[in-house]
Amino acid sequence: MGGDVAVVGIYCDFHAGQEQSTANILGAMLKQLASRGGISKLIRETFKKAKKEFGGRGLQLQDMLNIVKKTITSLRRLFICIDALDECTPKNRRELIESLREIVRVLPGARVFLTGRPHIDGEIVTCFSRTLRIPLSPTHRDIMTYLERRLDSDTDPKAMDDELRADIMRIIPEKISDM
Amino acid sequence: MTSRDQQIIGNTNSFNSFNSLNLTSTTNFISESDDEGRQILQWLSPLEPQQRHQGVRSDRLNSVGNWVQETSEFRKWRGAEDGSVEPVLFCYGNPGVGKTYVR
Repeated sequence: MGGDVAVVGIYCDFHAGQEQSTANILGAMLKQLASRGGISKLIRETFKKAKKEFGGRGLQLQDMLNIVKKTITSLRRLFICIDALDECTPKNRRELIESLREIVRVLPGARVFLTGRPHIDGEIVTCFSRTLRIPLSPTHRDIMTYLERRLDSDTDPKAMDDELRADIMRIIPEKISDM
Repeated sequence: MTSRDQQIIGNTNSFNSFNSLNLTSTTNFISESDDEGRQILQWLSPLEPQQRHQGVRSDRLNSVGNWVQETSEFRKWRGAEDGSVEPVLFCYGNPGVGKTYVR
């Protein structure tokens, strides 16, 4: 098991509401881990206990985090990708960032990939002071590739001619670089 | 794609690779008879990020945003396996720049 690598991914969403609690986010990571290794005995037993004692209510954050920490000990590397961290509530963001710090403490081979708007940088830095950063914006080549592909897959090619195509390829990248 | 990437993907039932099997839900690996298994997955979390991932994957265009993987920050972040490198990589940008669609 010492060589195992796992990748889990989470998409945060402004519209998700209550469901997007930190415990549920960690639970979604566990589901993805279970899809490769099966549902562990620890999880099955915790479920049975929760069913008997709490009528099957979901786990609290700390209990969920403890299961995550135990589950990942068999891994060598774990890549956790979280898209749009800024779309979590501030409270959930703090809990999630702190949970990630715990996860990395247990598994130094864990790596966390985050995307979000720049304003959450300060919150990440409270737990991960030397965070690596990449500013994202489409390169000129990204835009050209994107346009070419979209034009090539046009469902109404008769509406297109060389001149219009050339105009699109010229004007849209110009407008985007003005933004 | 570098050979190291291929190695990582080859060794992993990764988020990407299990979606390439067209699974729309994490429940698919549970056998028909394992009712408890299905209940457990629902109990762990009602969130299904794989469904969103499926949509993003199919909308994403090859080679757009690939440059991120070539940056020194990305390589540094991916390569280290111990505590010597900060474990967090933050890709930031304003709404609409394509953060969800980098690969």
